[in-house]
Amino acid sequence: MSVVDRFSESWRKYRKPGYYEDFDYAWTMTIDLDRCNGCEACVTACQAENNLPIVGEEDIARGRQMQWIRIERYWDGEYPNARLSFIPMLCQHCDAAPCETVCPVSATYHNQDGLNVQVYNRCIGTRSCAVYCPYEVRYFNYSNHHWPAPLDQQLNPDVSVREKGVMEKCTFCIQRIRQAKDHAKDDGRRRVRDGEVQPACVQTCPTEALVFGDRNDPDSQVSRSLNDPRAYRVLDELNTRPSVVYLKKVVTDGG
Amino acid sequence: MAAEHNELTYADVNRDVVRSLVETGPKYYVTLGVAVGVFLTCFFFPWFYQLFYGIGAAGMNQPTVWGTYLASFIFWIGLSHSGTLLSCVLHITNSAWRKAMYRSAEAMTLFSLMVAATMVMVHLGRPWFIHWSLPYPNQMELWPNFRSPLLFDVMAISTYLAGSSIFIYMGSIPDFAAVRDRTSGWRHHMYVLLSLGWRGTDTEWHRLGRAYTFLAVLIIPLAVSVHSIVSWDFALSIVPALHQTIFAPYFVVGAIYSGTAGIVTVMFMLRKYMNFERYITELHFDNLGKLLLLLSLIWTYINVLEIFTGWYSGTSTELEALRYKLFGFYAPLYWEMILFCAVAPLLLISRRFRTSFVPMLFLSFAINIGMYTERFLIVATSLSRKYLPDTWGLYVPSLVEISILIGSVAMFVTLFLVFVKIFPSVSIYEVKETMDVPRKGTPQWQTTR
Amino acid sequence: MPDIDRRDFLKLVGAGSVGVAAGFVLAESIKHPVEYLIPFPVPPEDYSPGIATWYNTVCRMCAAGCGISVRTREGRAKKIEGNPAHPVNQGRLCALGQAGLQVLYNPDRLTTPLLRDGDRTGPFTQITWEEGLSAVADRLASVDGGRIYLLSEGVRGHLAGLFELFMAGLGSNRLLHYDFDYPHTLYAANKRFYGENNLPYYDLRNARYLLSFGADYLGSWISPVHHGLGFGHSRQGGEVRGYFVQIEPRMSLSGAAADEWIAASPGTEGLLALGLAHHIVAEGLYEGDDRDDWMSALAAYSTARVAEQTDVPTNTIARLAKAFARNQPSLAIGGGAAGNHSGGVDTLVAVNALNYLVGNLGKSGGLLFNPDPVVGRPTRSRRASFQTMLELAEDARRGNIEVLIVNQTNPVFTLPAATGFKEALAGIPLIVSLSSFMDETTALADLILPSHTYLESWGDDIPEPGVGFRTASVSQPVVSPLYDTRATGDIVLGLAQKLGLTDSMPWTSMKEYVEQGWRQIHARGADTETRDFQAFWRAILQAGVWGEKLRRDNGAFALDKSVIDNIGAQQPEFSGSNDDFPFVLHPYLSNTFLDGRGANLPWMQELPDPMTSVVYGSWVELNPATARQLGLAQGDLVRVESPHGSVSAPVYLYPGIRPDVIAMPIGQGHAEYGRYARNRGSNPIEILAPRAESHTGALAWSATRVKLAATGKKAALVQTGGTSRQLGRGIVQTTDATAGSGHNARLNSIPIKVVST
Ligand SMILES: Nc1nc2c(c(=O)[nH]1)N[C@H]1C(S)=C(S)[C@@H](COP(=O)(O)OP(=O)(O)OC[C@H]3O[C@@H](n4cnc5c(=O)[nH]c(N)nc54)[C@H](O)[C@@H]3O)O[C@H]1N2
Ligand SMILES: Nc1nc2c(c(=O)[nH]1)N[C@H]1C(S)=C(S)[C@@H](COP(=O)(O)OP(=O)(O)OC[C@H]3O[C@@H](n4cnc5c(=O)[nH]c(N)nc54)[C@H](O)[C@@H]3O)O[C@H]1N2
Ligand code: SF4
Ligand code: SF4
Ligand code: SF4
Ligand code: SF4
Ligand code: SF4
Repeated sequence: MSVVDRFSESWRKYRKPGYYEDFDYAWTMTIDLDRCNGCEACVTACQAENNLPIVGEEDIARGRQMQWIRIERYWDGEYPNARLSFIPMLCQHCDAAPCETVCPVSATYHNQDGLNVQVYNRCIGTRSCAVYCPYEVRYFNYSNHHWPAPLDQQLNPDVSVREKGVMEKCTFCIQRIRQAKDHAKDDGRRRVRDGEVQPACVQTCPTEALVFGDRNDPDSQVSRSLNDPRAYRVLDELNTRPSVVYLKKVVTDGG
Repeated sequence: MAAEHNELTYADVNRDVVRSLVETGPKYYVTLGVAVGVFLTCFFFPWFYQLFYGIGAAGMNQPTVWGTYLASFIFWIGLSHSGTLLSCVLHITNSAWRKAMYRSAEAMTLFSLMVAATMVMVHLGRPWFIHWSLPYPNQMELWPNFRSPLLFDVMAISTYLAGSSIFIYMGSIPDFAAVRDRTSGWRHHMYVLLSLGWRGTDTEWHRLGRAYTFLAVLIIPLAVSVHSIVSWDFALSIVPALHQTIFAPYFVVGAIYSGTAGIVTVMFMLRKYMNFERYITELHFDNLGKLLLLLSLIWTYINVLEIFTGWYSGTSTELEALRYKLFGFYAPLYWEMILFCAVAPLLLISRRFRTSFVPMLFLSFAINIGMYTERFLIVATSLSRKYLPDTWGLYVPSLVEISILIGSVAMFVTLFLVFVKIFPSVSIYEVKETMDVPRKGTPQWQTTR
Repeated sequence: MPDIDRRDFLKLVGAGSVGVAAGFVLAESIKHPVEYLIPFPVPPEDYSPGIATWYNTVCRMCAAGCGISVRTREGRAKKIEGNPAHPVNQGRLCALGQAGLQVLYNPDRLTTPLLRDGDRTGPFTQITWEEGLSAVADRLASVDGGRIYLLSEGVRGHLAGLFELFMAGLGSNRLLHYDFDYPHTLYAANKRFYGENNLPYYDLRNARYLLSFGADYLGSWISPVHHGLGFGHSRQGGEVRGYFVQIEPRMSLSGAAADEWIAASPGTEGLLALGLAHHIVAEGLYEGDDRDDWMSALAAYSTARVAEQTDVPTNTIARLAKAFARNQPSLAIGGGAAGNHSGGVDTLVAVNALNYLVGNLGKSGGLLFNPDPVVGRPTRSRRASFQTMLELAEDARRGNIEVLIVNQTNPVFTLPAATGFKEALAGIPLIVSLSSFMDETTALADLILPSHTYLESWGDDIPEPGVGFRTASVSQPVVSPLYDTRATGDIVLGLAQKLGLTDSMPWTSMKEYVEQGWRQIHARGADTETRDFQAFWRAILQAGVWGEKLRRDNGAFALDKSVIDNIGAQQPEFSGSNDDFPFVLHPYLSNTFLDGRGANLPWMQELPDPMTSVVYGSWVELNPATARQLGLAQGDLVRVESPHGSVSAPVYLYPGIRPDVIAMPIGQGHAEYGRYARNRGSNPIEILAPRAESHTGALAWSATRVKLAATGKKAALVQTGGTSRQLGRGIVQTTDATAGSGHNARLNSIPIKVVST
């Protein structure tokens, strides 16, 4: 297949509507805002699993924190009727991801599982993807990060450590997905079982607010919670078609 | 010698231009020295530091991941406009007043494009991999992303750079020949090479004319497309206040606007320091002034329009972006821009203003400061007010950034200073074309050989 | 080849070197950071890279006792996850629990025994274990046992038992377990009301209606992860959604999660509880035989009077009372600030009364009494209250203490400066610290015998309170020790050997002692037939936890009339007059550092405070209205002055706090404790009044009044969050419980494609 054919084919693919819809898997996360209590266990879980650096006070003061999942907090009303709501925000793995179209080197692209993957060693650091991402979940390495010994002994060998100048973000714990697929293959199964992949944040969430799974499988737990009438997507009007779906917080008046 | 234009003789032209190349006073060397010094200290060393430390050396952050580097990039691309563009338009419309100024205008285009390209390098997190954004065959068959507006940029700018280089070079060949015949030593050798054996035969003049006009026609749409595409880096995003259809024309107008102001600055400098008083005259300033006035009015109109669309949308996101731009942290800069780019240029209505050199110089400065501010605000105010209020932040440029900004100006000046010593910065033959051909047998005729 | 003259040569050299320099700079600048992901380039035979080994053990970051599974690769601990088999946390963990890895791999650990001569400002010198143990043993042998104190963090299971034996062997009963946040008042209230030594098990999971009086059960109260599980299930797991009410002057994590946050005036939680009780009884929502006793006991707590005492509207009181009685099963819990006032125990007894009146006792969704643990002696009698610590200080001043052994507890940081505890330590000739870190107390020690971290040690734990049935967990080393440290138990056994206490403590290692102890569990029938002890032990080490799913028969609960008659609650007493000190200081356990123990963990320092998103510092929470009155803005540095001192911190405008209350998180403001904790923020405990709760002698740490003094300076308030208002952008969307019908149209745009396998 000549380069030209290859190019014209991939170009056709780009143009084909719904190109992003037939995945082997369609990994999806639902987040129940009526369960989430803002405890941030998920944040630390991700930090531990994905070798996120400790950037230090100065860098955070300069707006350079590095946590792939963060808890946003929003107040409504004033004392005594003030109410505080939490919402976990991570890469939404949009099926129509603006960050992907803008990357000049395709360092971030959609893989066959419907993941928005980030190829660190292809990234040249234009930071355009972060501009294009409306959810502000892409984190840039403004400098090299170091782990004072022996803290470095905790680093997860399944996940690479990123160098300065590259963009990074939630991968849906792709290394765990990969592991689950390998297990499935070893057991002679063609597909990963529901619940077999548990991203670090989902695994630890004390209130079980996070559910992860394959929405291609209609019986999966995540497919079921997708059909919850409370389900909605953040900034849905932008049509980025996120794979992270939220379940509305329930607000009642009196017991 | 305050002689009038029409009193010029062919001899004067040759003498003055060649003198501008060969006779170099200490003033020149001092200026060059300063320029190079500033370039090294303010641009190079900070940049090396940034390569060590990472982009963190600059003030950029979450969510404002773009900063002055990108603003400068747009600014220099903008400045590059109207240089060659203007020259082409005027060439096709055969306006004689172009002839004395077009070469340095084109040089301006060339050099600001080079500076712009450098700013991209400075902006990148890993500039040592910049070649990955070029579509070159490789054993992994990895290609750049052809959907990316940034890739459109790469294409457009490199084409524009190539086009305008060829254009300026082609236009200079006869002059190189002229200088060749009047210099000796290494200069002579250099011009022998540069003039590609030009002998001035009718066929040569004929071909040159055809090719030149052809290129001129080609470059006009190119120039327009370049800044439209640069605008798409922003307009194709879904960032409030950037996601706007007006952006392409907005950028093009802005570009020509700042470019023309830039030409005024350069004209003034040449006139003053290269003693081209007799070639660059009130006529040029008058015409450029009229052009500037027109452009400033269009630019103002688009700005008003931008505010209107923001307000009319009525959405929380657009309104906040607007509010932040007009009354937020960077509001003073916004109003400074309005003063310099929308209000001050109204002075150009008076002919007396247009034809007085020093005021025009200051106005041209003001306009370009204002236009830089515009680019800065586009980046700094929009990105810090996106969709999720919890992520809002403030971006303040770091010393490294400011220093590199100054350094990039020095880079431009340096390139220009080198240029004026190699290229005849006023076109010998085209200036002569504007003069009545002398009769045979006069001593004058001899001198022009 | 043209011959090169000197000038050209110099030129070339110059040019060359510039080029090389530039090249070098470039090369340097694009180098990758050196990080060693796999510790050994050539792995030993027994390791196969890529395959993780999991060890089950117990989390020691707080008293909840969650079971953890530690993932190790090539002998390095990589990640801590919850042990799914453990009934307390069922596979889940809180943030602090996961940060345990940074206790193990903390760059500021103490790595060898250290000694210094008398002068406690002087430097430590490195010594061997032999020297260290002998030094201590000799001194212990030479002094009268009554003059030896062992002050430990709260420990349970066999380590507690070992301490008992050790001190008994020395002929001393000066054994104290001290934790700042131990709920003395809660235990006392349960003892008084139910006659129970154990805390009951609070069954949030099945509760349909929860009244929490100041207990931040999702943040720092007793067992946050377990409560989180219960909360989540009660909210969306069952067919009826649970309703949660939080009563506290400053909105805590639990307050934010609650459906209703009621800011009763601080310290009046007891009055409010009795107000509710009165309404329940008066409205005939309670029909017990002892109804008349209650009627008379509660006569003084009419809705109207309580409303004006507690600053909670009458109709709210009435509504809560009805809802609490009607939505069964319901549950009332109390703790935190509510228990830390002058009348803390009375308050918590009043809360118990509510549970009694609506019949929440001994039923699912209410509270279940816990059976006594099988192994490990309860240390309740040994738990040092604030009063006890004052006595210890007094003994020290009087010179009654010859040797003080401190184990992993940090009273110098967690006791108010006004107690003069720190100074009192000067009166003790020998202070030995078994801490793994140079904390404020260890910094005053003469001799340091550094302990292993819990991830390197053997031990066991019995969660307190249990989960309604008997359970116990084993902790085991997950990696080989990093440094020349020893497990606390082994240090004690080492001393015992030197002191010839081997007949009461014959074991050579903690492991042996624990294993021996667990034979009792194996002997409890069930297992004895099926498998021998070794098999049982192996199984336990793999599972990490043992349990007996037998609920205790709570029978019919009979309440003694005297208890009813003694029911009562008073207005709280504060230190500091209302006029000079207009605000009540509400210190609360930080969600990330608890009482400060988490402050040396970079992950915790970098974890945004859930409520404010502040990192790496302290702050003073102020109602925006109050701030406006005082002319204070976000980030203004203020001095918080109590009758006993002052601390400074930046202002944080906090919509969820009473205007007459200011709140500060506990945990920062360390003077020692490693690079991540040292000289960061300020510690509100310093300025607390040394006031004890009347019945238990626990520190009444919510009973201090303060005033604010502007310093005119701004202070760095490092936050990860920007603007915390939604501006109508529908980011967090809500629905009322009734809206249950019809699918969300937007979601139908998600393509669901079945893939045949
Ligand atoms: N034992 C052993 N060691 C080897 C080799 C060997 O054969 N055996 N081969 C050597 C060679 S040739 C190479 S190239 C290196 C390769 O070694 P690595 O560079 O480590 O490559 P992988 O281990 O395949 O992938 C690294 C991590 O990236 C994750 N990952 C995959 N895709 C993505 C993505 O899109 N985004 C993000 N964020 N993460 C992703 C994977 O899950 C994995 O955790 O190993 C070298 N070392
Ligand atoms: N599923 C999966 N596939 C992958 C990767 C992955 O991460 N996951 N990684 C990809 C990457 S990054 C790489 S580099 C490739 C590597 O894939 P390969 O290039 O296949 O590497 P190996 O299989 O390690 O080595 C190939 C053969 O070389 C032989 N060999 C060893 N030493 C010598 C020698 O001195 N001379 C000769 N003639 N032969 C020798 C080995 O015995 C082996 O049979 O795999 C790629 N494929
Ligand atoms: S761990 Fe679960 S409950 Fe806690 S913040 Fe994250 S999502 Fe919310
Ligand atoms: S959330 Fe942002 S980064 Fe993630 S896929 Fe969507 S656009 Fe890309
Ligand atoms: S930063 Fe990296 S990933 Fe993002 S657009 Fe640029 S090259 Fe692509
Ligand atoms: S899915 Fe994995 S990578 Fe993404 S936030 Fe959760 S833990 Fe982090
Ligand atoms: S609650 Fe958190 S810190 Fe406490 S034991 Fe459980 S995991 Fe550990």
